[in-house]
Amino acid sequence: MVELAWLIPVLPMLAAAWIGVVYVIAGNRGEALEKSTSRIAIAAATLSLLLILVIDLLALVRGAPGQIAFGSWLSSGVYEIRISFTLDTLGLSMATLVALLSLLTLRFSVNYMHREDGFQRFFMILSLFMGAMLLLVMAGSAMLTFIGWELAGVSSYLLIAYAFDRPTATANATRAFVTNRIGDASFIIAIVLSLFWLGSVEWPDILACGGVLETLKVGLILSCFLLAALVKSAQVPFAPWIARALEGPTPSSAIFYGALMVHAGVYLIIRLAPLFELIPELMLLLAVLGAITALYGLLAGLVQTDTKSALIFSTTGQVGLMFLECGLGWFSFAAWHLAAHAAWRAYQFLSAPGLMHLMGRSNRPVPRWLQHRRWLYTASLQRFWLDNIANWLLIKPVRYLARDIQSFDQQVVNRLVGLPGSASAVSSLAQWEQFKVGEAGRVVGDSGDVGRGRGVAGRLMEGVAVLLQWFEEHLVLKGGDEGIFNLIQRLGRNLEKVELLLSQPRYLFLLILITFIVIL
Amino acid sequence: MPLLTLLLLLPAIGAVLISVLPGQQIRVIRAVALSAAAAAMLLSWGLLSMFDTGVAGLQFFEQVPWNPRLGTSYALGLDGFSLPMVLLATLLCFITLLASRSIRERVKWYFVLVLMLESAMLGVFMAQDWTLFYLLWELTLIPLFFLIDRWGGRRRHQAALNFVLYTMGGSVFMLISLLVLFDVTPAHSFAMASMGDGARTLPEHTQVLIFFGFLIGFGVKMSIFPIHGWLPLAHVEAPSPISILLSGVLLKMGSYGLIRAATMLPEAIAALQPLLAGLALFSLIYGGLLAWRQSDLKAMIAYSSVSHMGIVLLGIAAFNIAGLTGAVMQMVAHGLVAGALFLLIGLLYERTHTRDVNDYSSLMQVTPRFAFFTSLALLAGMGIPGTAGFIAELHAIIGGFERWGWLMLLVSVGMLISAAYSVRTIGRLFTGPVRPRMRDIQDLRATELTAAGVLATAIILLGIAPRPALELMAASIRQLSANFAGL
Repeated sequence: MVELAWLIPVLPMLAAAWIGVVYVIAGNRGEALEKSTSRIAIAAATLSLLLILVIDLLALVRGAPGQIAFGSWLSSGVYEIRISFTLDTLGLSMATLVALLSLLTLRFSVNYMHREDGFQRFFMILSLFMGAMLLLVMAGSAMLTFIGWELAGVSSYLLIAYAFDRPTATANATRAFVTNRIGDASFIIAIVLSLFWLGSVEWPDILACGGVLETLKVGLILSCFLLAALVKSAQVPFAPWIARALEGPTPSSAIFYGALMVHAGVYLIIRLAPLFELIPELMLLLAVLGAITALYGLLAGLVQTDTKSALIFSTTGQVGLMFLECGLGWFSFAAWHLAAHAAWRAYQFLSAPGLMHLMGRSNRPVPRWLQHRRWLYTASLQRFWLDNIANWLLIKPVRYLARDIQSFDQQVVNRLVGLPGSASAVSSLAQWEQFKVGEAGRVVGDSGDVGRGRGVAGRLMEGVAVLLQWFEEHLVLKGGDEGIFNLIQRLGRNLEKVELLLSQPRYLFLLILITFIVIL
Repeated sequence: MPLLTLLLLLPAIGAVLISVLPGQQIRVIRAVALSAAAAAMLLSWGLLSMFDTGVAGLQFFEQVPWNPRLGTSYALGLDGFSLPMVLLATLLCFITLLASRSIRERVKWYFVLVLMLESAMLGVFMAQDWTLFYLLWELTLIPLFFLIDRWGGRRRHQAALNFVLYTMGGSVFMLISLLVLFDVTPAHSFAMASMGDGARTLPEHTQVLIFFGFLIGFGVKMSIFPIHGWLPLAHVEAPSPISILLSGVLLKMGSYGLIRAATMLPEAIAALQPLLAGLALFSLIYGGLLAWRQSDLKAMIAYSSVSHMGIVLLGIAAFNIAGLTGAVMQMVAHGLVAGALFLLIGLLYERTHTRDVNDYSSLMQVTPRFAFFTSLALLAGMGIPGTAGFIAELHAIIGGFERWGWLMLLVSVGMLISAAYSVRTIGRLFTGPVRPRMRDIQDLRATELTAAGVLATAIILLGIAPRPALELMAASIRQLSANFAGL
């Protein structure tokens, strides 16, 4: 049974692929065919869940299977990356949680997304996300975890931009995705460092690296993983992206930011718990950042006026608490907290749309103590200016730099390589052609530019070519053939003269005389 | 009848047959010429099927003593160097005849001359005796002189005379070298094998002097800088079908001869290696830059031939297995590519009566077949992977790299230049705004399509599956490069 574990993440991904392919060939479009789509997704999710439950049962009886290798993905020199799963208690319980919540959300979405435009798209992405999350929590190596990590990020991006015709949705999706890339980059660095120093990215090997490597290197690898976790779980200072992520449909918010993806960072920390215990400084950092995020979530949540925003800040706060627990060394407690929070928050998010109808009264007002502290109130309302600080610190300088580089490119590089000065001046090929074609149909400014070079290299080439052409014409061609003709003609003329002279008797006589003298 | 003699005589028999036919029977004449060339082509392919690639030495060898006192004999044979050339020559001659529809005056004598030329060229590649080689070498001049002089373009007289003067000037040096070699050879024989044995025992400076004679003689034909002066004019002024033969086969006679001479004089090659490599690299870049400067399409292809023959010379100069393989492969590849280009440009010229690249535009829409085949040939000339040119250049560069290391970067400069003019030409001919003059051009007709298709198929086949061709020449190349293992 355990040998079939690889099917668990693959089944939802296959469902996603199936939905996508059938959509492309127009097999499931339209309202009437919604059922076929949702059935496929739900069936795959159910199968995955059942498989996990069976493995869970086996694990209860015989103990968790632990690390299982299914084969080698790629190997180059001494490096080998295996396809392996870590089916320990943490991996299995997380996988069960993921599968269960995903299945419930999928089922919920059948009604919620009914008659929505992107029904098929939604189910496809949600299935993909489910597969990605399952891969993330079950993977036996940092590399496979990263694949799940990235796929989850991509599906998050796609669902935030679900209503891609709305500029805010796409802008927020981009913002969330780009912020996540910071964490992804550091995840990749961590993988590279492990490969470089350990020669392996299997979780057991990484966890055992404390005995192999010196503390500084362990700390470096761990900090990279930590940064990735902080970003994915929207901790301070990366917290703001998650508030923007609520643009997607509510079920997706529930599963991504309420229940599952936001906890991926916590999962990563718990997975790396043995290493964190080696380095107290990082534990302290975890605790401090967790505490700050918890406060941030609390304060920002209190001043929100709509349910979803209040929920998301509350989530951030709770995840911050989990980080704090990890920082204090209570990893199992954090894991329990994670599971309970995920289930509860998913329920809250999914019931949020109906909440208004159920409650019938307006939101709870901002507490009195917060109202009196003006500066704190403002700061909470502004979410502690984290977005603005990021804008000011990162985005603006990058934007200016990009502008400068572009102008450098246009002014200097384009001229050097001989491209037209400003690429933006001509926006389409048709325009370019119109610009080049004159009235008579003759290409203007282009007549006979054979052998004409543009740019520094082109000019150099042109110069050398002109020189060589001169050489060719004057020395090889004229000097060669025409020169030979002239020479032959001149020789011929001179010989004719000699002949003429010789034909006169006196010179003939002289010649004979000379011959005789020479002979004698 | 011995096979090689039959191959040598087949085109000649065709020529004799045509010369007794009445001149008005153009169809019959063309049919006879085509069938003679086709028979020669089929026979050469039959030889290929009988050829044993494991043997390095001569095969199908036949010898009849000619003048025992002088040590001359009528000797023919094929090895891994000559068989590819024979195949190339028979193929290109057939293509030439297919493409000769535009010749409308004095058709009879035109075909007679082309077939005579084919016989002489095949003889050059098959001859195993230097007197026979020299005789046939000079014999190629006579039909070519008349072909250029009678059916050529505006400056045809000058071009024809020029061509003959240059080649004969070179031949004189070759003849002197041959006579010196004959004199020092103890066996006093002109047979290639025994002459080579004698020559290899000579001291180095004598070898170098003798080799210079060959270098000039063959270099003229191969159009090495600076003795390539005949080439641009002759290629431009020759009638288009003859340009196919000129650059496709005639240039290869030079490099083939050079390889034969190098076999005899290994120490000279070793001593002159830097000079040869320098000449090769300079030809490569010189030809490329001049090709880039030409707006006349035929002149452009002519100069690109100088550039491509530079790669052949480079491979010969490297004289290791990879280099020689590259050289022979490039001879074949360039024969096919230049043949295809001259064929297509010639056909285009028939339709538009202009060879100036600036006059062309947007042929992609009017003549898609032209566009496809010409682009393919130009890209193959650039050495795009998947074409014969790539295999050749790759081998030549590897061979050169083993000898001279990073100097081979200059070759990539040459490639860049060839990319510059090739892509420029493709862009000029086939893209851009539609011009009224270029609106009604007929696309390739069936026979022309066959000719171009055969060449294109060969280019791509050799590029994708070069192994059979490489194996064909491998044994001879291994044997030859073994001479140089210690040098």
